[in-house]
Amino acid sequence: MTRLIIRRLLLGVLTIACIYVLTFVMVISLPGNPFQQGQHNIPPEAEMALRARYSMDNNWLYFWEFLGGAVRLDFGPTFTYNDWTCNQVIASALPVSMLIGLTAILVAVMVGVPVGVISAARRNSWVDVTCLALVLLGISLPTFVTGSAMLIVFSVYLKIAPVGGWGTLAHLPLPVLTLALPFTAYIARLTRTGMLDALSSDFVRTALAKGASPRAVIWKHALKVAVLPVLSFLGPATAQAMTGSFVVEKVFGVPGIGQHFVNAALNRDAGLIMSTVLVFATLLVAFNLIVDVLYTRLDPRISEAV
Amino acid sequence: MMRKLLLVCAASLISVLVIYAFSAEEPRADFTYVNPSGIHTLDPARMSWTQDFRVALNLWEGLTTWDPATLEPISGAALFPPQVSTDGLVYTFTLRDDARWSSGDAVTAFDFIRGWRRGMEPGTATDYTFLFTDHVAGAAEYVTWRRDAVATLTTLKRLRDGWTISTDQARSIARLAQVRHLLPAISDAASASAGKSDDAAGDNLVDRLASLSLDWGRLYVEAFDRHVAEFGARFADVGIRAAEERTLDVQLSAPCPYFLDLIALPIFLPCHPSIELVRERHRGGPITAEGLVVYDPQWTKPHYPRNDYPGLITNGAYRLSDWTFKRRVRLAVNPHHRDADAIACRTVDMLVFDNISASIMAYEAGDVDFLPAMNVPYDHEIARLAQSGTRPDFHLYNVLATYFLNFNCTSETVSAKPNPFVDRRVRKAFSLAVDKKSIVENVLKRGDRVAHSFVPPDTIPGYTPAAGLTVSVEEAHRLLAAAGYPGGRGMPVVELLYTPPDERVCQALARMWEERLGVRVELRSQESKTFAEDKANQRFMLARGNWYADYNDPTTFLDCLSTGNGNNDSGYANARYDGLLTEASAARDPVARASLLRQAEAIIVEEDLPILPILHYAVPIAIKPYVKGLHANARLWFPFRYVTVER
Repeated sequence: MTRLIIRRLLLGVLTIACIYVLTFVMVISLPGNPFQQGQHNIPPEAEMALRARYSMDNNWLYFWEFLGGAVRLDFGPTFTYNDWTCNQVIASALPVSMLIGLTAILVAVMVGVPVGVISAARRNSWVDVTCLALVLLGISLPTFVTGSAMLIVFSVYLKIAPVGGWGTLAHLPLPVLTLALPFTAYIARLTRTGMLDALSSDFVRTALAKGASPRAVIWKHALKVAVLPVLSFLGPATAQAMTGSFVVEKVFGVPGIGQHFVNAALNRDAGLIMSTVLVFATLLVAFNLIVDVLYTRLDPRISEAV
Repeated sequence: MMRKLLLVCAASLISVLVIYAFSAEEPRADFTYVNPSGIHTLDPARMSWTQDFRVALNLWEGLTTWDPATLEPISGAALFPPQVSTDGLVYTFTLRDDARWSSGDAVTAFDFIRGWRRGMEPGTATDYTFLFTDHVAGAAEYVTWRRDAVATLTTLKRLRDGWTISTDQARSIARLAQVRHLLPAISDAASASAGKSDDAAGDNLVDRLASLSLDWGRLYVEAFDRHVAEFGARFADVGIRAAEERTLDVQLSAPCPYFLDLIALPIFLPCHPSIELVRERHRGGPITAEGLVVYDPQWTKPHYPRNDYPGLITNGAYRLSDWTFKRRVRLAVNPHHRDADAIACRTVDMLVFDNISASIMAYEAGDVDFLPAMNVPYDHEIARLAQSGTRPDFHLYNVLATYFLNFNCTSETVSAKPNPFVDRRVRKAFSLAVDKKSIVENVLKRGDRVAHSFVPPDTIPGYTPAAGLTVSVEEAHRLLAAAGYPGGRGMPVVELLYTPPDERVCQALARMWEERLGVRVELRSQESKTFAEDKANQRFMLARGNWYADYNDPTTFLDCLSTGNGNNDSGYANARYDGLLTEASAARDPVARASLLRQAEAIIVEEDLPILPILHYAVPIAIKPYVKGLHANARLWFPFRYVTVER
């Protein structure tokens, strides 16, 4: 187990380093000038001075300076928001996205898994068909549609939720539900498939033959196996949900980190692009590691394989 | 067991985040408005955007400010009017006795000098340095000296640390005496071709420099210390002087009839001495190792505990009470302001809504009192509601801004195709064929005004813009034929460059030209930063452009098209046009000056057509009926100190 974790950690560091190099190359080869802000074209001499200020007059220098800072968890300045550092931007936005993302994933698991199990247990019944239809809807409807629809129904007509913004608990449910919907649908589908497989396997038949109640067999024995594909989906899904959704943030006016991913690239804000990418990469690597560890716990066969 | 543990972990993590995210809420401010994209910066020297100006001018007060109803310059921190010398070159400002910082300190002439110097320094200023170099005596020389020094010190430092340098950097140190005598043959050629970055002479220079066995570290220290020694004396040559604590003399390089309007802009704001506590220093000098003046960017925060820095101190009607990134800025009345007791809105909240539709919903729900921007995909509907009077709280303001097309007047070829627009007859033909009225009324329907001139009419007192052209397809055909493209034959495919929001206008333009002139138009939509770079470097045939007035004078528009101006995206050059502008700047009689400017404008909108003006923007804003004291004006300048809310 320890060997597995150490190996995965080293691999993770290597992955993040590769991502950094790739992002850096892309950032410096992007057309467009990060220092031009308003309608005025920036005079070349003034731009040279600003590049010198941020060590951006030399790509190698900038590469090592940013890396040195990142290792010390200091991501330096942003060019779009002159008065804030990348650290401040992340510290203000990431907790918001993590809160929404984590709650959404929790909701998705608590709803998705039972729906999948019931659907599989009553295969081809009307319950199953209804669930499948809802799942299909949840996966295919984009979040900007579901988000806007919720906003109109709950905020504008029913007036039971604020229109948007952030600051109180009342701001939480709508973005969470919107973000959770596609995850719920996907988890339900994964559980259903996993459950159908499990129900047709030998150990379930044996258990049923030995007289165990179908309910106990489904929820105790079969679920443990059926939930494995959900678990491997949950690693990257949690990382994805926690690093923010541009669409959900835009629709509900939530100050999360998703918008900075997109805006930093549009603004050619080199420091902010690289720091958000590094944060996302680190979370992704971390969650995959957690899932792998959980996997070996749930399914002992795997520890030998990895 | 495992499952329970996981649940407990998740639940505790969520509760920690909830506590972190939702700290105790403050009561609602007296007045709340929305700034869609949030603040880019609160540093007056670095500001470029109207929405930042709006916050800054409520926080600080310049020597003058604008009357919110008439936009005329009025008294700010200085008595009005100042003393002006008979030749119009020296302005003497006397500061008010009751001008106070939010800390209670008196505002002095030195605070203005400090603020203005930041507006010139290459490390602190960006877009508006030209206002100093164009007008204040000695400022251009100082800024050039400083920019050269930064280039030299940076390059020497890079060479000392063993990094490679660029050709521009190589040129900057080839000028140094210690280096110059070692490469006599090359340095003349290199400095002569300065500005063109990737030529062979420059590359050669980089190699030659790298091969020199000079002690770069020693050269760097010498250059740095020499620069620090001259730092104060050089600035003393700039025409801004404090005769005493309350008197500021400003010497101009040429008379400027709109100078009192100009100095109300944020770049001319004062700066409290406490900022020196967070100045970056190197070798004990007032500059960084790269030669830049840099202050810790956190100085604009209400609380920033470093070196006993007291947090942002301002001299306007309000002080900064709270600033949460991308969420809210809260202003509170500056208790030391001379009119503090008379201000009705004691607190003002500026909220950030990235999604403007959401901000409109919040306005409708009553959470917000004022929306200074409503540029949504359905803005034509908002304009209709405002114009028809259905929504008396929606207003359309004609702002000092023009939306136009740039013709590339300079590049013979664009993406390997010949550029027909170097011929002014072609430019004029394309201009004559455009039905602007149809674009304004049928395509956009936002209530904008059709533009015949570059300078918007009816907004600048004493100036009537040139008449411009009227639609004439026959004349356009005649001109095209004269240029060698009868009926559009032989004309290369015309490329029209724009950003996604311009899609509908550009499609309409393309169709007009294709139908009326028989040419083929290719539409090229580009992401905005890439677009800006291509436009600034004349990598286009036709490109969308817009310009917002920086100050209340025609030259804020007309200067853009003078030869070699940094914002002359068309690459237009006409000695007669430049001559008229120069003549106008020397004219002391306002009527004669206006007439010269009008003649200059006539050249660009009637004869040479480096640009094709399309419309002058109208901006929809929403003000709740219970809000009084917000005036309609073309600069969208809203001082909150005059606002009363009668809910």
